[in-house]
Amino acid sequence: MHQSSERGSRGLWTLFAASSLACIGLFFVPAFIIRPFRYQSPRALSLALMVRQRAPLGTLVAALICLLLVLALWRIARTWQRIVLMVAMLLVAFSAVMARINYFEWMFHPVDSPQFEAETQSKLDSAEMIMAVRFGNDARAYPIREMAYHHIVNDMVGTEPVAVTY
Amino acid sequence: MWRRTANGKTLHFYLAGINNQNFLMRDKETGTWWQQITGKAIYGPMKGTALELISSDELTFGEWKSEISNGQVLAAVKKDAKEYDSNWEPEVAKLPVVISFTGTELKSRDVVVGLEVGGSARAYPWATLLKQSPIIDRVQGTPLLIAVGPDGKSFRAFVSRVDGKDAEFFLQNGTKDWALIDTTTASQWNFQGCAISGPSAGRCLDRISALKDYWFNWRNYHPDTTIYKH
Repeated sequence: MHQSSERGSRGLWTLFAASSLACIGLFFVPAFIIRPFRYQSPRALSLALMVRQRAPLGTLVAALICLLLVLALWRIARTWQRIVLMVAMLLVAFSAVMARINYFEWMFHPVDSPQFEAETQSKLDSAEMIMAVRFGNDARAYPIREMAYHHIVNDMVGTEPVAVTY
Repeated sequence: MWRRTANGKTLHFYLAGINNQNFLMRDKETGTWWQQITGKAIYGPMKGTALELISSDELTFGEWKSEISNGQVLAAVKKDAKEYDSNWEPEVAKLPVVISFTGTELKSRDVVVGLEVGGSARAYPWATLLKQSPIIDRVQGTPLLIAVGPDGKSFRAFVSRVDGKDAEFFLQNGTKDWALIDTTTASQWNFQGCAISGPSAGRCLDRISALKDYWFNWRNYHPDTTIYKH
């Protein structure tokens, strides 16, 4: 009786270790691969994107499993084991949240709805570089200084849906 | 600049990652990942799809204003305006690069104007272009004209053909007005590629999309690119 419950709790601990590592890995592996100023090989990149695509659902499932296991293990866990459970659970929760957040937009804020001003109103210096596009009578300029910060503007020029990228 | 429709869907893109210093974008509609410089879907439901390039220009604000009327300028996003860096170019040039290509005279952060004709890519070093503009060249049998504008900063590329015949151009000397002269009819052409006087007046050259980029980035996504040599 005593032996079988010990074996059972060891199984729960193993399962907890596996699901918490899976959850943490689902966030950290792609985040590590697609960090700036590092070389990305084609294989590593597709691995990162594959994991990142599955991470929102994957981390949720893994985090729920972890939570159930913590509830089951808490009563029988010693103090140091409870500390391990809590630290792991914090990392699991962090990963599950980060897998849902586009942290790239922390640094480069998106332009949610592009606003325009008439060329005659603009205070832009004549020597400033712009990207220009025109459909029919609709001529638009996107100052490169702004584009170098936002990188993407989703716009409609005339009736054309345009993605301005820099 | 891309037409943001693919497979009949209008897409909204956002910045979603980085691949060797060129950013990845994702669309809200399908979650597909796209490489910014190539417009190609590299992962996700639309993998293999390519966005259609929209012809656009890199001009000075002054040049653009002189060419159009009632233009609209993207306004600064107020909360971010302080982040717009007027000095971004030299700042970016200092950033490390993660890939480099040896065996050419170009350094990673050298600026080139890149274009593609009939599947062949060619890079024109910006420094060479500044010195030699207008450049007359040929890629895949297509005659090309690449010119830096009157402001010394704007640039455009054209098919160098008038009335079905290959044409050559040189920069008009001795007057204050910038104009190109073609050697066949001696007509004057403006920076928009249209003849403004002479026998060809009223005709315009076809445009070719050209992109100003760092050499390493252009080379990375156009592995077979050649480099223009005079």
